[in-house]
Amino acid sequence: MIEALTEEMMASNLTQWIQATYWLWPILEIFHFFGLTLLMGGLIIVDLRMIGFFSYIGLEEVKKLLPLVIFGFLVNLITGVLFLFGDPSRYSINIGFQIKMILVLLAGCNAAIYHLKVEPLFSNLNLTDRLPLAIKITGFTSLTLWTGVLLLGRLIPYVGTG
Amino acid sequence: MFVWIENTALALWVSTSLWAYPFLLCAHISGLAIVVGIFTVRDFHLIGIISGLQETKFLELRKLAYCGFIINSLSGLMLFTSQASYFVTNAPFLSKLLFISFGIILALQIHKRIREKQDHRIIKRLAICSSICWFSAIISGRLIAYIFT
Repeated sequence: MIEALTEEMMASNLTQWIQATYWLWPILEIFHFFGLTLLMGGLIIVDLRMIGFFSYIGLEEVKKLLPLVIFGFLVNLITGVLFLFGDPSRYSINIGFQIKMILVLLAGCNAAIYHLKVEPLFSNLNLTDRLPLAIKITGFTSLTLWTGVLLLGRLIPYVGTG
Repeated sequence: MFVWIENTALALWVSTSLWAYPFLLCAHISGLAIVVGIFTVRDFHLIGIISGLQETKFLELRKLAYCGFIINSLSGLMLFTSQASYFVTNAPFLSKLLFISFGIILALQIHKRIREKQDHRIIKRLAICSSICWFSAIISGRLIAYIFT
């Protein structure tokens, strides 16, 4: 199935446009880095707070960083899709890319759990309260998965085919 | 002197070991996420793009940002040794160093002014400059892989 999809992508106009546009690749990379800065910068603060660090910041306060995190993610989703279309045969068989995508999906599930189950717990907590384990685990899982995404992305040029 | 650096044991390890270079790049991108990430969140707050955290909270968060900066100074220095004589003449690399220096000077100024509760308009202007510096540092850093003069 992946092979068929790869063939399909390679035949697309988008692939031809990306490959033919001068300097587009480094520009996309620069935006991918901007996006990761916003995504990770916000997440580091939110997740570490949920784990139990920075107890001088309220959970309701850090929550307000999430729009920035989501914006960073969207920038990287768009630039990421363009990378994939720009060189489908390279990415689809790359083990680093494959694991990275699985981690992104898992992080998405974790974010859904956060949104449905964990965030509603925030409003009942004061600054000095002990954090429920559910909050700590969700924060730790998020930080671990996104760090994995960050590192695997950097390793794509160095790892082999899956 | 830069050729000498390239022949030190450290530089040879970085350039010949199979995993040294990718490992250092991983450390370098983690440090980037920490230092530029936190400074960007700070600057966007000071500029008014986002809100939520009080300014003074960044005086505590700056410690983590500095940890990221130290990780990147060390990993960056080690990456530098492997091709020292090339990097010292590479325009994107040199501009990257310049932007990072400005970014750090601005960070020190911004934190000092937040601590002293100085005029917010000036802090806001410094934050705009700081954001421009860090984004320019990222642009220059990426261009190292594309511009070879």
